[in-house]
Amino acid sequence: MKISYNWLKEYIYFYLSPQELADKLTNVGLVVADINPVDDDFCIEIEVTSNRPDCLGIIGIAREVGAIVGGDLHSPKTNLAHPTAENIKRVHVEVEEPILCPQYTALLINNITIEPSPDWMQKRLKCVGLRPVNNIVDITNFVMMETGQPLHAFDFDTLADQKILVRRALSGEEIVTINGARRALFQNMLVIADGKKPIAIAGIMGGKDTEVSESTRNILLECAQFEPRQVRRTSKELGIASDSSYRFERGTDPEGVNSASQRTAHLIRELAGGKIAGSIIDIRSARHEKKKITLRIEMLCKVLGVEIKVGVAVDILKRLQFVILNVVDNFIDVEVPSFRGDIYREIDLVEEIARVYGYDNIPTKTSIQVQSSLKNRYEIVEDCIHQSLIGLGFYEAKTFSIVDTSPLQSINLWDDKDGIDIANPLRHEESRLRTCLLPSLLQAKKYNMNHGVDQVRIFEIAKVYLAGNEKLPLEKTCLSAIADVDFYNLKGVVEALLSNLGIAAECEWIPYETSRSILLFKTGKVAQIKWDGNILGYLGESCESEFKPPPCMMELDMDLLMEKSNFIKKYKNLSLYPPVFRDLAIIVNEAYLWSDIQRCIKYTKINFLREINFFDVYRGKQIPAGKKSIAFNLCFQSPDRTLSSEEVDVELQAIIDSLQRTLNAELRKI
Amino acid sequence: MHKDLEDVKKTFQRDAGSVVVLKDAEFLKTKYLGRKGIISELMKVIPQLPQDQRALYGKEVNTLKCEITHFLDDMIGKVSSVASPETKKEIFDITLPGKHISIGKKHPLTQTIDEIKEVFARLGFEVTYGPEVETEHYNFEALNIPSDHPSRTDFDTFYIKNDVLLRSQTSTVQIRVMEKQQPPIRIIAPGRVYRPDTVDARHSFMFHQVEGLLVDENVSFADLKGILNQFIKTYFGKNVQTRFRPSFFPFTEPSAEVDISCSICKGKGCSVCSYSGWVEILGAGMVDPNVFKHVHYDAEKYTGFAFGMGIERITMMKYNINDIRLFYENDMRFLSQF
Repeated sequence: MKISYNWLKEYIYFYLSPQELADKLTNVGLVVADINPVDDDFCIEIEVTSNRPDCLGIIGIAREVGAIVGGDLHSPKTNLAHPTAENIKRVHVEVEEPILCPQYTALLINNITIEPSPDWMQKRLKCVGLRPVNNIVDITNFVMMETGQPLHAFDFDTLADQKILVRRALSGEEIVTINGARRALFQNMLVIADGKKPIAIAGIMGGKDTEVSESTRNILLECAQFEPRQVRRTSKELGIASDSSYRFERGTDPEGVNSASQRTAHLIRELAGGKIAGSIIDIRSARHEKKKITLRIEMLCKVLGVEIKVGVAVDILKRLQFVILNVVDNFIDVEVPSFRGDIYREIDLVEEIARVYGYDNIPTKTSIQVQSSLKNRYEIVEDCIHQSLIGLGFYEAKTFSIVDTSPLQSINLWDDKDGIDIANPLRHEESRLRTCLLPSLLQAKKYNMNHGVDQVRIFEIAKVYLAGNEKLPLEKTCLSAIADVDFYNLKGVVEALLSNLGIAAECEWIPYETSRSILLFKTGKVAQIKWDGNILGYLGESCESEFKPPPCMMELDMDLLMEKSNFIKKYKNLSLYPPVFRDLAIIVNEAYLWSDIQRCIKYTKINFLREINFFDVYRGKQIPAGKKSIAFNLCFQSPDRTLSSEEVDVELQAIIDSLQRTLNAELRKI
Repeated sequence: MHKDLEDVKKTFQRDAGSVVVLKDAEFLKTKYLGRKGIISELMKVIPQLPQDQRALYGKEVNTLKCEITHFLDDMIGKVSSVASPETKKEIFDITLPGKHISIGKKHPLTQTIDEIKEVFARLGFEVTYGPEVETEHYNFEALNIPSDHPSRTDFDTFYIKNDVLLRSQTSTVQIRVMEKQQPPIRIIAPGRVYRPDTVDARHSFMFHQVEGLLVDENVSFADLKGILNQFIKTYFGKNVQTRFRPSFFPFTEPSAEVDISCSICKGKGCSVCSYSGWVEILGAGMVDPNVFKHVHYDAEKYTGFAFGMGIERITMMKYNINDIRLFYENDMRFLSQF
């Protein structure tokens, strides 16, 4: 809210420069965002938090200044206006919805003269950012800025049947508001209507047809209370926010209606020459009940961690215009002023005292009980993955969880369901929760390529969101990576990572292809990785043709990694006896895979074989078409003695025999 | 050792220190070990010495001679491999660049989260996580943000459907933890949050927060100031000034916003701190009794404080990053800088 420095001074004496004032206000919770000189005045822009509608009027700010510097408020002048007009026109006011409109007052003022408002008023309004219109409009705005209570003036002679009805809109009704926009109204909205049609959206904006104009002679001044939530709902639904709705939705002073109306009438009589016709019509369904709260000094000190004496607390509360009903021992009974709707509990009083006492004056305690904390499993696994991948040259990326609905972004490797849509997206580009991380990483790869970076090696740990039968979706944490390396390189990364995570058992690498996977991976160069019957993830070469050579990528189930990782380590004795190595190259049909060779060797009962290490596959001149040569190294070792060359040869021959028998393998000389 | 010999030894050590090329070493060899060198000069003194000192002196000169010889031979071996420009031999060029080995890095936002986690871990806080897709209960009601309340304006939210939304703050985790666990509680909860903000240099519809919560008997606002001060001094440096000022959050009372003195201008005022000298770094406050009511804690017995901070904001301040979008573009030239 913008206030004028000079205007503020009309309600409270203080000797503070604008900057000093700003610092003091900031320290009690009214953050000053900006100070700007305007002519001989200063416009001070204050960020008023949503719990403090009482500070949406300059008098409210003056009260806060009073609490800071001490001193009494000067209330604005109001001469009670007695009815003075001879021909009192009758106006009929009815409130059909007393809950939504707890108080409605109307005051008829005759024979006004529309003209520009006086310079001093225009200056004040301009300083706080309001555009002067004419004296009547300006006066209602002036009083709203002064008191925080919005008001509205209707051109009385335009009201059908001289009637005001506060009711819900009827189906099919509409209104043209003073800003010229035509609005369709709905039955859940509260309107002010005359005998025929809505003339204002209650608490939000008046209608064009009944607004004060050059030719207006008689006005009906509305000053009312509207239920905050109702105003907020309607304002949101219609997309109209006004200075009025801003205040009503935060809550106005339930005791402030009559005085604001009188203050307005006073100014209208003075500046527009009007005559008050009849007394104020005041329809009020409920009296405001003053809240009474007891503050325990013990609680105050316990929450704040500082000794505050009863006298100090009482003084602060008085300055904030709380009525002290009783002080017995360490209990203070107070009555809350009507404009402080935000205060209804003891803790609210604690905060009031704290902010005026000064947060700076509360000590900074440094004794805290010792408590140890341990990393949880997720953190341990995440750390291990970070360390492993970073060591292998990968950079961590972060991409958005909300994506578009394109086929590529709709890929879901984990189930058949579609992604979950956002009901109120800002843009199509961010309208669905993702089911796969890889499309986002591909985008990052593309972004880098377009910026001249060819070599990308990134990973991300983030969630995918899978629709299920529960109210909330399953949030599956995935580990995905994309890198400008070949399939076997990235496979090596996965194997190194699993080894670091203590996942010992070997994975199955299964050819994979679905209607969805072909949007991501090149056919024939993608594997589903299974581990102990569980799907661990997917790895393959990108099918994007614009990447040359194509990068490889993977997406793993991090929840599974977390479950299966094992950081318990046991030392195994180092063998005292030397290993014996033998290289072997065999020629087999293309159809036989490395896994077939491994399996064949494993099923051959070999006593001392410890490791099989692949090192080369060769197709070329000496190898017949449709066949390939595969070379590997075999390591033999005994835990309790040195193996003789003859012993190893016997085992090697057994392996060769088995390969020949099972895979029709041919031994190749190397 | 004889005084003269000691002097020679010292001089030699000084001379030896300035040897760079072969020539220098050869010069020293002549100077000390040559026919008219210093050592032979020392030998010449022997006959003039008293009888009883000759043997010892001779032995000492010999030892010194051996030392110098060894040292110079060694040195000649070393400096002669630093070849002079005229040499024809193939040279191993040790100044060629090393073979490129890539080592990755954590995302700068992860680094910030890790650093914050680390500071709070030392203060006994444990890390907890919560779901990103939440119900209104956890995102609003249990946090004392009723529907149609103006405070919801500060928490614009993406909805999935009625009552299901993307959390707009990590405070949701407070409720999830307190529902399951009795005090004492000391947790921090980092994670992604979402708000329908149009993306620009300062805003993003997705960003990261770290939430903290401490609940116990006799926890006061003074403790809140203490812990957060500890954190700020550890994380931002001992000389940083802090300012706690009253604010409003529906789930805390009293509430505070915490500013630190601007690191760019040292509090004098600059564009980074909007000429105020202060930069807002976190929101905090004593847990509102209404929040305790939702999780069935006795607000007479327990008090606590909560705090939250934006990771992007802190990271941008720390590295002087001027555009939040850089964090999600994943440009390798950006990621490799941190």
